[in-house]
Amino acid sequence: MKRAVAARVAWALAVIAALVFALTPLVWMVLTSLKSNREITQDGTLLPGALTSANYISLFSGREFGAYLTNSVIVTAVSVAIALILGTQAAYALARFNLWAGMHRYVGFSLLMVRLLPPIAIIVPIFLVMQRLGLLNTRLSLIIVYATFNVTIVVWMMESFFREIPIDLEEAAMVDGDTRFTAFRRIVLPLAAPGLVATGIFAVITTYNEFLFALVLTSTPAAETMPIGAATLIGRINVDWGAMSAAGVIGALPIVVFSIFVQKHLVRGLTMGAIK
Amino acid sequence: MALAMTPSRAARTLRGSGLDRVLPYLMLGPTLFLVLGVVVYPLIDGLRTSTGFFRYGSLVRSVGLDNYAQAFRDPAFIEALLTTARFVVLAVTIETVLGLALALLCAREARFIRRIRATLIVPMIVTPVVVGIVFRLIYASDVGLLASIARAVGLDPPQILSTGTGAFWGLVFLDVWEWTPLLFLILLAGIQSMPVEPFEAARVDGAGAWRTFVDHTLPMLRPTILVAVTLRAIDALTTFDQVYVLTRGGPGTSTQLISIYGYQTFFQFQQTGYAAAMLFMVALVVLVAAGFAVGLMRRRGA
Repeated sequence: MKRAVAARVAWALAVIAALVFALTPLVWMVLTSLKSNREITQDGTLLPGALTSANYISLFSGREFGAYLTNSVIVTAVSVAIALILGTQAAYALARFNLWAGMHRYVGFSLLMVRLLPPIAIIVPIFLVMQRLGLLNTRLSLIIVYATFNVTIVVWMMESFFREIPIDLEEAAMVDGDTRFTAFRRIVLPLAAPGLVATGIFAVITTYNEFLFALVLTSTPAAETMPIGAATLIGRINVDWGAMSAAGVIGALPIVVFSIFVQKHLVRGLTMGAIK
Repeated sequence: MALAMTPSRAARTLRGSGLDRVLPYLMLGPTLFLVLGVVVYPLIDGLRTSTGFFRYGSLVRSVGLDNYAQAFRDPAFIEALLTTARFVVLAVTIETVLGLALALLCAREARFIRRIRATLIVPMIVTPVVVGIVFRLIYASDVGLLASIARAVGLDPPQILSTGTGAFWGLVFLDVWEWTPLLFLILLAGIQSMPVEPFEAARVDGAGAWRTFVDHTLPMLRPTILVAVTLRAIDALTTFDQVYVLTRGGPGTSTQLISIYGYQTFFQFQQTGYAAAMLFMVALVVLVAAGFAVGLMRRRGA
């Protein structure tokens, strides 16, 4: 009995240690963002003596964090929506039809390879193409690129979901007079909804967080996204520590709030995104 | 149409009207169009770029494979490759060990266990650029967390970002903090999908926790570990955001990973052709690793 209690205490301590390890760095950033610059650089306190919102105010007046936030929300929402709409259709086509030259067997797999291709590997040609098209520093350029990378993951994940749905259900509906489209909407889509949700969550997180394409393709607050905005506050010589930590908090806040909002599906979405 | 009615086809596909002959291509079209336009075309265009010599951003002449040959004579490229390899091996190894430990810890049912799992994966959700900022705030020798703690207990603040070894290990530690949750998640899913019987049998036999782990858990988990490690390594190979914020590759070249070097070659040194060639070679390595990973997943049936 004693041993069981000791084991439980040891387990709890290990879990607490892991939680502290995961959260301390973030807590430190939040604490720093609430201190005055005097306190950060001269007093070097651990906990803020007097709370200040000056660092946050400076992000929105004088700096362009409102614009970064707008750009991020638009670019993420539009590109994920496009990817979900197009990718679901494509996945359905691959899962339900025999296609020319056996395409239904290898297209999904090829798209997965595209997703695994690192952005840095094609950043130079994509920059040159966007330059030629006159799309540099537009939200459209980011939407196009993100929609493409997102659509590959949507197809890959949704294809396996559709394959698991028995074909008889649709056939029965179509015998009863549904068109293929209404059968898809009434029967298939609701059954595949959990997969769609998980895929969407994964896509939103990776898209919002993306940095390299945004760094290369945008150059002013007209199109720059939140991660770029947060990175611009990192001075080379003089660092405004308070503003930088506030920028970090504001930069990560939308995606953390989103994650809390979809908490129930989060672990599944991230796990599937990683291994599917 | 007669062919479409043969049993083998009908078993897999839906029967429908003649529209079904074009419908799947209409559904697939936009996706393929995007991928061809945004990935395949730039790739081909980039191949051409990688065989050219550029000045002020415009092509001067074609140089064949010289840009590729140049990489192997470029000590900075070789050094960046070695730094990247060291970084990947160290970070992924530590992440795997810690991730496995965490997964074993959290595989059981307990109060708040879902909340605990969700909290443990927060680091991998936080924007990578912000993770870079977070660790600047920890390592900074004047205002950083470590410096503040050191001062509070009367020690000299540690010099992390100003020395080569310190910055390199600082980057490894950052990666471990950010991505151990990914290994944790994948391995947790693996553990939860394992059959219960072998473990019950082991308990009946009176096997200890460690024996059970070595004899049952580890062998059954091996394919999952292999997939997780490969996927993480693919991503780690092209780590960019965090380095860009934390050190920009410095001090000196101590944290100059291959992606940072490729980026600088293009955007700072304006060597368009050489940068394209260099990054293509990186892409090739990644795609071979990716093919390996996908092969593993298919064999496992995941």
